[in-house]
Amino acid sequence: MTDSIVPVKEIEEKMETDKMWIIMGPQHPFSHGLWTLKIKVDGEIVVDADPIVGYLHRGWEKETENRTYPKIIPMADRLCYAASMTYTHLYCMTVEKALGIDIPEKAKYIRIVADEVCRINSHLMWLAAVGTDLGNLTVFLWAMREREYFLDLNVKLCGARMTTNYPRIGGVRNDLTELFERDVIRTVDRFEKALWDIIALMDDSSIIVSRMKGISYISREQCANIGMTGPAMRGCGVDFDIRRDDPYDNYDKVDFEVPVLTAGDSYARYMIRIEEMFQSCDIIRQAVQKIQALGKNAPYRIKTPTKVPAGTHFMRMEDPRGESLMYLVSDGTDKPYRLKVRSPIFTNVSTSKVMCQGCRIADVPAILAQIDMCLGETDR
Amino acid sequence: MTIKYLDKYPKNLAKSLWVLKPQWTVLKLFAKTVVHRPVTVLYPYEKEWVPENYRGRPGLIFDKCVGCGMCARMCPTACIKLVDAEDDNGKTVKRPQVNLGRCAMCGYCAEYCPVDAMTVTPEYELAEFTRFDLIYGPRRLNYEGTTEGMKVKLEVTLPSDIENGNPERRVSLFDLDRPELIDSKCIGCKKCAKVCPVNAIEMVEKGVNEKTGKPILRPVIDNGKCICCSNCVDDCPKDALEIKEVL
Repeated sequence: MTDSIVPVKEIEEKMETDKMWIIMGPQHPFSHGLWTLKIKVDGEIVVDADPIVGYLHRGWEKETENRTYPKIIPMADRLCYAASMTYTHLYCMTVEKALGIDIPEKAKYIRIVADEVCRINSHLMWLAAVGTDLGNLTVFLWAMREREYFLDLNVKLCGARMTTNYPRIGGVRNDLTELFERDVIRTVDRFEKALWDIIALMDDSSIIVSRMKGISYISREQCANIGMTGPAMRGCGVDFDIRRDDPYDNYDKVDFEVPVLTAGDSYARYMIRIEEMFQSCDIIRQAVQKIQALGKNAPYRIKTPTKVPAGTHFMRMEDPRGESLMYLVSDGTDKPYRLKVRSPIFTNVSTSKVMCQGCRIADVPAILAQIDMCLGETDR
Repeated sequence: MTIKYLDKYPKNLAKSLWVLKPQWTVLKLFAKTVVHRPVTVLYPYEKEWVPENYRGRPGLIFDKCVGCGMCARMCPTACIKLVDAEDDNGKTVKRPQVNLGRCAMCGYCAEYCPVDAMTVTPEYELAEFTRFDLIYGPRRLNYEGTTEGMKVKLEVTLPSDIENGNPERRVSLFDLDRPELIDSKCIGCKKCAKVCPVNAIEMVEKGVNEKTGKPILRPVIDNGKCICCSNCVDDCPKDALEIKEVL
């Protein structure tokens, strides 16, 4: 080195570190599903991020245009395997709104129970993913173990574990099976105790907490401007929940709290979902009481016409991941003219630039785990 | 309702105890599992209990089926096809054949079957070596041991019943809707009588054509036999039959 023509020391002083694009995905341990996150790094610090989705595009919306209305219900199941019940529920509500019918009381409460079971299912799936992203494999196993009890409830209710195909246009597929009320209460009681164990693993360990606390701060105004929805939005201090503020079905008749935190960091978004699981347990207990009060022979499904009158309608609901919306354009036949799905994750993942800016590469999985990626509904 | 978790957390964690609390939780589970038996199931030797209404492969009660094709029409993945099969008397009849490689196990065929011949079955071990083996013919699809819980029935309530203050569950959609004839469009081609799977349509003479001297034939539908499969409506060349929905 001493013989080189240009002195090394001078080069080092003139040299600037190039900013470099790192491409994470589509097959990467942190991406739960097929998507790519391009991050621009300055040394160890992330300065820019750019998500690329669309690897799982299957033409869902176009496919629905060739099917009659009831045949779309099993397809709506397959939008997202973790939130299959809420998407079928949303689709059925959209068509019911277009038909202008009111479904029986019992069906509304059964849908609430099914929805909240689905919400706990989805949040436990997310908790398992967060556990592995932060390096805690015990949480993964324990959350999956708890989820199994709720999948068993799905089997008991409608015969299928994940792609339930349970809500129908005008009600639900079948009445509550024998002893389902007893089983759901037992499962929920058991789950509340078990969840405290998982919390002890996550929240009482300063290794896990320090990887989330104070990282990726988003202010209340910024969060509203970039269009975040769901638990991630409530973690940033925006007090909005469609179940409470624009109630569908019978959510206005059950009593629950909407957890809101103003911290705005990654840890706050984590805490909101844990609290939501406790609130879901409360909603299930109340809804089961209401079902029992209605009696066994109450109607749960009404007959609906096969043809939907022409017009445009939309319906939105609180998905486990945020606000999902369906927009239906019908032309008076038995097939929809257009059915648009607005997925909560599509908007949430587009905020990844704001979330990742200024943090380190190692924090990127921990931050993006909080939006609970599901590519089935994002790409459709 | 009360907030349960956000009242207690976040805690200010002491630095010195940073792993002890989680370790203690895991130790408790360890002590529990030493005493209690394991929860895992050794799959090929033991099997999980499945409830009665479990949605496995579709099954068919061969003798009950009338071959109306309602299952094939409702199937969202179009995996059901009507094929020729021989019944017990050696007669050729139409029966469903299911391609299980495409079946999504949605249970629509069992739900919409007007005679409850299609059921859901608790069979879920369906792996085969070739794709051809996955095509279940009508005889192979036959399932013995159908119980009451496996039958999925369309129990609907009519909106008009609710308005009258008499909400009552009706067991089947197809007992309510009926095909009706639009007399001016009918040409008397007998096609509806041929396609009807339950022979509910009879062609009756309704006078004589004055120009040609041939008899005028019109279908008469026996509502006791009709299962409202809408085969006649689909096959009518002049759209003279229509199904009126009872609402």
